[in-house]
Amino acid sequence: MEYTKQEFMAVTTGREIKDSELIIFGVGLPMLAGYFAKLNHAPNLRAFTEGGIYGSTPVGGLPWGIECNRISTNATSFTNAIDALGFLVLSGRADNAVIGAAQVDKYGNVNTTGIWDEPPWKAGKYLAPRVRLNGSGGASDISVGCKHYLIMASHEKRRFMEKVDYISSAGYLDGGDRRERCGFVGGGPSAIISTLGILRPDPQTKEFYLDAYFPFTTIDKVKENTGWNLKVSQDVKIVPEPTAEELKNLRTVDTTGFLRKNG
Amino acid sequence: MQNKLMSIQEAVTTYTWDGMTYCNGAALPVGSCSIAFGKEMVKQGRKDLNVICHCGSQQINLLAAVGAVKRIEVGFSGLEVYGFAAGLNRAVVSGKTLIEDYSNGAMALRFFGGAMNWPFVPATVCIHNDQQWCSADHPDEYPCTRKIPEVTDPFTGKKYGAFRTIRPDVAAIHVTMADIYGNAIMLGTEWNRFEMSRASDKVVLVADQIVHTDCMRQYPNLVRIISEVVDAVVYWPYAAWPQSSPGLYDSDEDHMFYMNKMMKTEADTKEFCDQWVNSWNSHEEYMALIGKEKIEKISQTGTAFLMDPYRKWLRTDANIRELQDRKKG
Repeated sequence: MEYTKQEFMAVTTGREIKDSELIIFGVGLPMLAGYFAKLNHAPNLRAFTEGGIYGSTPVGGLPWGIECNRISTNATSFTNAIDALGFLVLSGRADNAVIGAAQVDKYGNVNTTGIWDEPPWKAGKYLAPRVRLNGSGGASDISVGCKHYLIMASHEKRRFMEKVDYISSAGYLDGGDRRERCGFVGGGPSAIISTLGILRPDPQTKEFYLDAYFPFTTIDKVKENTGWNLKVSQDVKIVPEPTAEELKNLRTVDTTGFLRKNG
Repeated sequence: MQNKLMSIQEAVTTYTWDGMTYCNGAALPVGSCSIAFGKEMVKQGRKDLNVICHCGSQQINLLAAVGAVKRIEVGFSGLEVYGFAAGLNRAVVSGKTLIEDYSNGAMALRFFGGAMNWPFVPATVCIHNDQQWCSADHPDEYPCTRKIPEVTDPFTGKKYGAFRTIRPDVAAIHVTMADIYGNAIMLGTEWNRFEMSRASDKVVLVADQIVHTDCMRQYPNLVRIISEVVDAVVYWPYAAWPQSSPGLYDSDEDHMFYMNKMMKTEADTKEFCDQWVNSWNSHEEYMALIGKEKIEKISQTGTAFLMDPYRKWLRTDANIRELQDRKKG
């Protein structure tokens, strides 16, 4: 079966999504993974975007943005950010979400804001970054509000870090019960799905460990590409390859081949 | 009710100034945004802007690229699938533009609080993370305690973040259609435009279409921006180009990428401005620049049916010109 790593990651993310969940997707890859799930096995998924677009599915390929016309052609309701990010996310009502990450650390904290030579937590001051990224958008709201959420990230050492440069969206912070003590209504990230496998948080320490890896890689390769000393589950699994049916459904959503172009 | 139609030049001259706090409604990176208004601000040489928006867009990308943005408060600064905003990022990395990061939800709440005339709003987002600890206004303090100070719920004793609310000087809000008095209907997500229209001291609408007020009387529930809070109405079809306007046109994919590429350097930004910003005055010239072929292409949108209920209320160009001239006297 021919597929790209990005496609495998999208299918794997989609499998984590259950039917009927009230769910919100970030822009780009998360949206494809999410709408794949809706088409493939979760027809009653109640998906919405952070600007308040309800009841719609993408038409004509990956939407260029969460308010793109490609996601606005078959909506049942258009509302606003107070409604979507406030009433449904920050309130604690949404079940699940999918967000992306430029950097993610061992406690599932996500950076999408910037890259520094000396990050603020190390420098003790906040200077202009070497590279400016996008900021958190709605992902920070998702990280504190949704019952749980999924993180998608390209599995590279420079992205899977001991400690991210900047926490844009809080995961489990320093681990343990640190997040609980913050009083967030949402439960935190339930998995990181990468281009190499699935990481899940330890119930006590909240440190992410390798739960399953893709058949084209090895445990050693995953560890090599991780910036912290990655623990491996005692019953670590191999993620089943995408089936023909899953790939067909994914490519129906990804009409323009976004996931094939990017390897 | 007062006819508030105004030319884009007059609206920018009247309602913008150096050093002002400006909102580029709706500030969607791909969709609705008053981009033509921002281009006119560039033409009139506005500078030292304090920009507030939940998201950046090509308007902010351009204003920052030409060095007009001194400071920005934002939830998301990129162009989504079109990439990082090259002009804004160049200004941020060089230190020319100070950037204060919040979440999109926090920005929405801050507009809501501004509309309510509250001093602050409490929330549990942007706390215990770097959005709270890092402040461009207080770069030497880490973790900063002044940007989003802690506040205690008097009922439960729980801790929340206190967010400064937003009362902008002016919001230039892009809408699908407005009447000449400033009642407006927005197709697609409205993001913060409802709250923004109530939080801003002055509101300028930049409308793709002008409709008869009877349209508003037919669909009063859909009129989320009201003449009572609007100061001026600018009629400017394709005002969000190269971004999209649901019901009317899709984003111009080639120009989105091209424009962002040109924002990467000062020299290319200047070249871009010469060709695409400073080269038009009238709307006819603006349309000629985009080109007939491109206009036709982006107008073939799958969302066109959204406009169907409103078509019979659309005013013609000739009629709008007459109304604008009559107002000038």
